[in-house]
Amino acid sequence: MIVAENLTRVYTMGRVEVRALGGVSLEVEKGEFVGIMGASGSGKSTLLHILGLLDRPTSGRVVIDGTDVLALSDHQRTLFRLNRLGYVFQDYALIDELTAQENVYLTSLVRGADKEEYLKRSAEILRRVGLGDRMDHRQSELSGGEQQRVAIARALVNNPSILLADEPCANLDSQTSKSILDLFARLNEELDQTIVMVSHEEWHKEYFCRIATLQDGLISDMTECRKA
Amino acid sequence: MFAGLGVSSFLAWKSIRRGNKGTLALTIMIIALIFVNLVFLPSIISGVVENFNTQSIDFDFGNLVVEPREGTQYIGNASDLQQTIERIPGIVGTSSRVTAGVTYFYRGRNAASTLYGITPEDERTVTRVADYMTEGEFLSNGDTDAIVMGAILAGVEEEAGGLPSLQGVEVGDSVEVAYPNGETRTYRVKGIFETQSFGVDTAAFVTNREMSEVLGLRDQASVILVKTEVNGREAEYKKELLSYGIQEEIWTFQEKTGGVIDQAIQSFNIINAISTLVSLIIAVVVIFIVIFINTVNRRRQIGILKAIGIDQQIIINSYVLQVLFITTVGALAGIALAAGVTTYLTAYPLVFPGGPVYPVVEASAVFRSIASLFAVSVVAGYIPAWQIVREDILTAIRG
Ligand SMILES: Nc1ncnc2c1ncn2[C@@H]1O[C@H](COP(=O)(O)OP(=O)(O)OP(=O)(O)O)[C@@H](O)[C@H]1O
Ligand SMILES: [Mg+2]
Repeated sequence: MIVAENLTRVYTMGRVEVRALGGVSLEVEKGEFVGIMGASGSGKSTLLHILGLLDRPTSGRVVIDGTDVLALSDHQRTLFRLNRLGYVFQDYALIDELTAQENVYLTSLVRGADKEEYLKRSAEILRRVGLGDRMDHRQSELSGGEQQRVAIARALVNNPSILLADEPCANLDSQTSKSILDLFARLNEELDQTIVMVSHEEWHKEYFCRIATLQDGLISDMTECRKA
Repeated sequence: MFAGLGVSSFLAWKSIRRGNKGTLALTIMIIALIFVNLVFLPSIISGVVENFNTQSIDFDFGNLVVEPREGTQYIGNASDLQQTIERIPGIVGTSSRVTAGVTYFYRGRNAASTLYGITPEDERTVTRVADYMTEGEFLSNGDTDAIVMGAILAGVEEEAGGLPSLQGVEVGDSVEVAYPNGETRTYRVKGIFETQSFGVDTAAFVTNREMSEVLGLRDQASVILVKTEVNGREAEYKKELLSYGIQEEIWTFQEKTGGVIDQAIQSFNIINAISTLVSLIIAVVVIFIVIFINTVNRRRQIGILKAIGIDQQIIINSYVLQVLFITTVGALAGIALAAGVTTYLTAYPLVFPGGPVYPVVEASAVFRSIASLFAVSVVAGYIPAWQIVREDILTAIRG
């Protein structure tokens, strides 16, 4: 469960201050599939970065599964990301020197998983995102949509407590987008996977159980959860 | 910790295998050349020292030199003393010599130099002059009317130079010798030798029997040269000889040559230290630049690794491991290259005054070079990796 209270994020660029978040509070229950929507520049990525422990807010509080994550040291935050979170970047962010499958199982390797197990698991998850025949390709040998799907597989491989996805379908055609969203929905239903996903596509709304809309760094609208 | 090291080596290995091969090869080559540079100069210096020592032992002094005690001109009962010394374990031979400053006369020319009276068979057990005959033969014990002469003293026709030279003595010629006591003798030249050692090549030998007769000596010696089984343990043998109650003065060959070579070695060592320092600085700079460019190019990648939960230390270690790999391969290539250079210089040696110098690669110099290369590499690899890894994740990912 995520509890974010009164998050602000101010970027100072010389004399100019950009207020990317102006006091956002949000709670995400275990097993929820929350959509964060809003115009470009409204602060969606900024919020997700803070929830994903990739950035620290200027002020506010973030508690994830009972842990005050802002009180953690950088090293502890790294371990928290490794063990608890799965993050899909807006621009995929794969390691080019590694193949698709190596990208996916790298964190399992760090977690000390058994070789046979992580090979099997990474292959299985790549097949689930439709890349069973692209496992040995490198980033430069994959299309944008394929790279995005590798990034999704990487985020899911360790069954994270929370999956954070920043426009995971931005570069996919609607067919593939739909299959990814179906996958998310199935994980959410079957495994009670908590998902926070940023999107600006209207038709994605039907997948979310709850939608938070950002406008100029503030939540302008929050729907009730459909599932509960 | 170990899992971490496994991930570091996984990342390092992928990076080496899938990174830029040209840069990799170039870096390895530079390390190899630096290694050769680190090993080469000391090996030549060792070669010069080795050469000097061997020459000193083989032609000038043997390993130990026994001289008359203070205030006397000759060692008395020389043959008894020789026998005493030869009984000591580890001593392989002694040669008793009478030394005189004489004037040589030949076809109206003359030269002042040293003449040694030796027992040829004894001399052969200590020095190797007899093995370096360029013409004729060395003396035999009965050759009382013969002389063998160094190549410089025998000289070349119409060329005197600054050294004592009779300008063109050949085997079979007659040479007249004026002794310090006024006696003169004429000897037939039996052979000419060339050792590349000035002291010997400007001198000549006659038999001890002949010289003692001329100078009126009975079983006396100016000096007794001693040859030991192994080189390099002269100080121990000197102690051993002293413990046998020998009253004469005993010197190691190092003590006899001391000043000259020590100064040369000191100068060489300064040159070597400068060269080593420069090589290592180049190594630091090159490795630093390579790793720095490498890490800067991978800022984004490092940011991603951190973002997905990979600890900084694992990332830094993966760079250090890459450097270790590069240095290991570089050092191996360097060893191969150095072996090639050494083999070449052994086949075609550098010529110094005193003869050809063969490179002597000392294990300690190789280990020192390898150790300093590794130390330098790890530092030069660690720092840039450490700097970049500390960067903020999102800044790094944005590139
Ligand atoms: N590193 C930064 N420095 C300065 N300003 C920043 C930085 N990152 C984001 N911003 C600003 O903060 C605001 C919110 O940015 P953010 O990336 O969160 O928007 P977004 O909602 O994700 O937009 P998009 O849909 O285009 O991805 C923007 O005005 C942006 O210019
Ligand atoms: Mg965004």
